[in-house]
This record gives sequence, structure tokens and C-alpha cells, in this order.
Amino acid sequence: MTTRIEPDGSRPAIRFDRVGQVFNGSDGGSVTALEDVSFTLHRHEFVAVIGPSGCGKSTLLRIIAGLVKPTGGQAEIYGLPVTGPREEVGIVFQQPTLLPWLNVRDNVTFPMKHKHGRVTQAEKQRAAELLAMVGLEDFATRRPNELSGGMQQRVGIARALLHDPDILLMDEPFSALDALTRDEMSFELLRIWTERPKTVLFITHSIPEALLLADRILVMSARPGRVREIIDVGLARPRSMQTLSEPRFHEIANHIRAQVFRPAALA
Amino acid sequence: MKSPTISAPRSSDRRRWPDMGRALLKVLDRGAPLFASLLLLLIWELGCRLFQVPSYLLPAPSAIVQGALSVSLESWLGHIWATLRVSLQGYALAVIIGIPLAVALANSRLLSRTLYPQLVIIQSTPIVAVAPIIVVVLGAGDAPRVAITFLITFFPIVVSTVTGLLATPPAMLELSRSLGASRLREVKNIQLPFAVPYIFSALRISVTLAIIGAVVAEFVAAEDGLGFFIAFSTSFFKVPQAFAALGVLVTLSLVLFQLVSLTQRLLFPWSLPDAEK
Ligand SMILES: Nc1ncnc2c1ncn2[C@@H]1O[C@H](COP(=O)(O)OP(=O)(O)OP(=O)(O)O)[C@@H](O)[C@H]1O
Ligand SMILES: [Mg+2]
Repeated sequence: MTTRIEPDGSRPAIRFDRVGQVFNGSDGGSVTALEDVSFTLHRHEFVAVIGPSGCGKSTLLRIIAGLVKPTGGQAEIYGLPVTGPREEVGIVFQQPTLLPWLNVRDNVTFPMKHKHGRVTQAEKQRAAELLAMVGLEDFATRRPNELSGGMQQRVGIARALLHDPDILLMDEPFSALDALTRDEMSFELLRIWTERPKTVLFITHSIPEALLLADRILVMSARPGRVREIIDVGLARPRSMQTLSEPRFHEIANHIRAQVFRPAALA
Repeated sequence: MKSPTISAPRSSDRRRWPDMGRALLKVLDRGAPLFASLLLLLIWELGCRLFQVPSYLLPAPSAIVQGALSVSLESWLGHIWATLRVSLQGYALAVIIGIPLAVALANSRLLSRTLYPQLVIIQSTPIVAVAPIIVVVLGAGDAPRVAITFLITFFPIVVSTVTGLLATPPAMLELSRSLGASRLREVKNIQLPFAVPYIFSALRISVTLAIIGAVVAEFVAAEDGLGFFIAFSTSFFKVPQAFAALGVLVTLSLVLFQLVSLTQRLLFPWSLPDAEK
């Protein structure tokens, strides 16, 4: 693990430089998950990634998280090539990945326990605050199997925010939530992001969600995953329920819909 | 809140009978294993008496009880302690060596490729056949018996623990790696807890195997223990005594098995299957 480096405003927070990823399948064949992906996230920018299932969104996240080494090109954080997991990155995984033997509170503080072997009083306090924020303060002493899928995912979000990461990677964090909770969590995430600015890479399947949250949207094409389009959302902040009814919102939404469903051959 | 259900109206005196019937059924259901055992004992007893089976072929339960009583309590306790001592030492050794070895095997391709085949060879060797050799090598005393017990109990623990460690969901390992924790913490905080259900199912099997191991060892070379006692009794045609010792062995196995289950229930309640919680 590399040590925490001081974020430098002049350098992009995240940079994908012609990143490619080929997986060798168990049947001997190979899958090209990503091809020639180049993209830059500026510091404290909120970028949503949208694309058909299996186009390599999670792989992109794993690469920047330092969990997978790309087979082509390079990923950088603050100008340094990613060689492994880094302290300033927080991840919300596609699955909740909670430990079944720990209660909700201990799951939230698990990163500290796992990294440093102990949890400080301040971290415990922060865990309690985060649980309240995601609406789970009453479930702090419950085990994950007593929670619904959406609740488990919210615990995962609280866990990723515990060390107040400068870079937040989120892999379809709200996909297990119902529509109402989803909107609520989106606004909550925007509030956190405004209060404590972070660079966010947010993977989603939901076009409205991407529009509501992001500064820019990276639209990917189906396998092999490539950058199809980068859209400047340009909707005023702070965003609210009203944002959803703005003409520009529908305009971009329709545009993205057309992009995602357009066959790759016509791209 | 009570949800509305549809039921046919019943008169109050007609309701009493089914209730009592249900209570009786419940008692029968609870006691079913016990009743079945008692019935079997009764058939055994009657069969032996009716057909006048000689007690050196198949003693009746009553003869077994008599046989048991003909041996002093002190002597019983001595044999039980000898068997238990050997079983538990061999078992403890298998746990202490088996689990760390499983961790090493699960985490090192080189180790699993070099050591695992040797373990399979050891496991494929009939321990009963090796027992006399072990006795010759390790001499008198508990040592050869503990070694034989160890060899019998060790393999299931290693195999099952390795399986459990490797069954850790990949997403969990990814979480661990993303946190940049040490390998040791990954094993301790993630892999081992995920393996707990596997480890305990092996511990349950192995504890009964430990009794078998001790008895096998006592058949080969011993001057006390329940295995020795059975060999000794049968050589003098005291078959009822041997049966009594067999009963003690079965009881011992069951108690140990339940103790392991209880340990899991108390220490790792989350690891039980949902149906048993
Ligand atoms: N470890 C792996 N080994 C082999 N192939 C892989 C591996 N991980 C991903 N792939 C392949 O790479 C492609 C992209 O996978 P990825 O999980 O990144 O997709 P995704 O865009 O996140 O999909 P979804 O929206 O369904 O989550 C898929 O075709 C998948 O089969
Ligand atoms: Mg994915």
C-alpha cells in the first residue's frame, strides 16, 4: 500500500490513459472487457459512468482501485500510476460485502480494525453519525442477515465514508434500493459531497440518477467497453426534485438513452 | 395483529378432543427416538430369551447390564480415562497442526502442490495396518496411541478447513485487498471466520474418529482403555462385558460430538445454518 499523498489541484484526480483489459476465460478464450479507455476526472468532480451490462464498468473501477492491473495503458491517481490499493480511496462495491459475524456498527468500522487492528473512539463516533445519516441508527447492533438488501447496501456506503476518502468509487450503490430510498440517498450523497468535496466515480444503470448527481457522464459502449461519449450535464446546482422536471434534464436523458441502445456498429 | 382466517365454526365440546389428541401426538413425536430405542431393546431382550441365544454370541440387554456390573466402577473409570486421554490428545494435536497447515495450504500454491499429495497418500494408507509399525517405532506408553489417533483425525480437519478457506467469497477478499491489510489479517479477519462452519463440521466428524483411533491403537498395544478391555474380554468369551464397553464407547462418542456442537453454538452462533439458529 502506498502512503497517502497530498492531492495536488493542478493534477487530475483520476486519469485513465488508453486503458485496456483482456481477461482470459476459463474456457481458454479471452474477453476484451475494456479497450482504449482514456478519461480524466478533475479534483472534486462527480462523474457518473453509464453503459450496458458487462461493458466493463466494474472492471474500470477495480483498475482505479488498484485491485486489477490493466493489461494495456495505465491508470493514475494525482499523476501517479496506480500500483495497488490506496489510502485516499473509498469503495462501495456492487455487492454489499458485509461480514456476517459482525453487527452493523462493527461492519462500518471494519476497515479500521482490518487495517490498523483497532478502532478509535472518534471512529466509533463517526460510524454512529454515518449510520444515522443512512437511516440505520436503530440497527447498529443487528447482524447483516437481519437487514434487507437495500439496508445492507447503505451499511456499505457508511463503511466507505468512514475515513472520509478524497476519492470515492461507487459501483451501482443504489441498485438494490427502492425508487424512493434511492432518490433520498442520492440527495444525501450530494449533501455529503457538497459538505466534504470529493472526487466521485459513480457507476449506475439509471440515467436519471446519473443526471441528478453528476457533473459529467461517461457513456460506454457494449463489449468491448469503450468511451462512447462524455456528456457535460450542465444542470444548475444545488440540484433538487425540481431538477428532474427541467427541460434540459429530459433532453439529455433522451440523448443518453439513444446512445446506450444504439448498436455499436453505428457508433 | 391477528390476520383474519377462514375457519369452520366448531362447537366447544368437539374442540376438546382434538386438542388432547394433538397433545398426545406431540409427546409421541418428541419421544419418538426414545420410544423407538426402547422398543428395539425390548425386541432384542425377548428375541434372545425366546430363541435362547447363547450370551457369547449375542448377549441380551439384561446380560450386558449384568456384565457391566461385574466390573468395578474404578476399573471402568480407569479404562474410560485411558481412552479419553488418548483420544483428546490425538484430537487436540490434529486441530493444532491441522488448522494452521490448512491455512498454509490454502494460501500457497507451492505448498498445496507439494504437500497435498503426501497428505492424500497418508490418508490412503490403512491406519490399522500401520498401527503395529507405529507402536514398534514409538515404543510403549501413550505416544504411539496418540500418534495413531492423530493420523486418523487429522486429514478431515485439513481438507475441510482448506475447502472452507477457499470458499471465502471473492468479493470479500477484494474488500480486504482494497483496504491494503496484511495477509495475516486477511486470514484472521476474513478467511478463517468464513471457514468456521466447515471447520466445525470437520471437528464433529473428527472427534468421533478420535475415539475410533484410540480404540484401534488399544487393540494393537495397550494395557488399559476401552479398546483393550474389549479385546481382553472377548478373548475370555466375556462377551456381555465387551458389549457393555461398546455401549460406553458409543456414549462417549455422542457426548463428545454434542460438546463440539455446543461449542459452535456458544462461540459462533452466526455460523449455524439458518434452520438451527
Ligand atoms: N475476473 C474476471 N475474469 C474473466 N472475465 C471477467 C472478469 N471480470 C470481468 N470479466 C468480464 O469482463 C466483462 C466486464 O465485466 P464488468 O464486471 O466490468 O462489467 P460491468 O459493466 O460492471 O457489468 P454490470 O453492469 O453487469 O455490473 C464481462 O464480460 C465479464 O465477463
Ligand atoms: Mg458491474
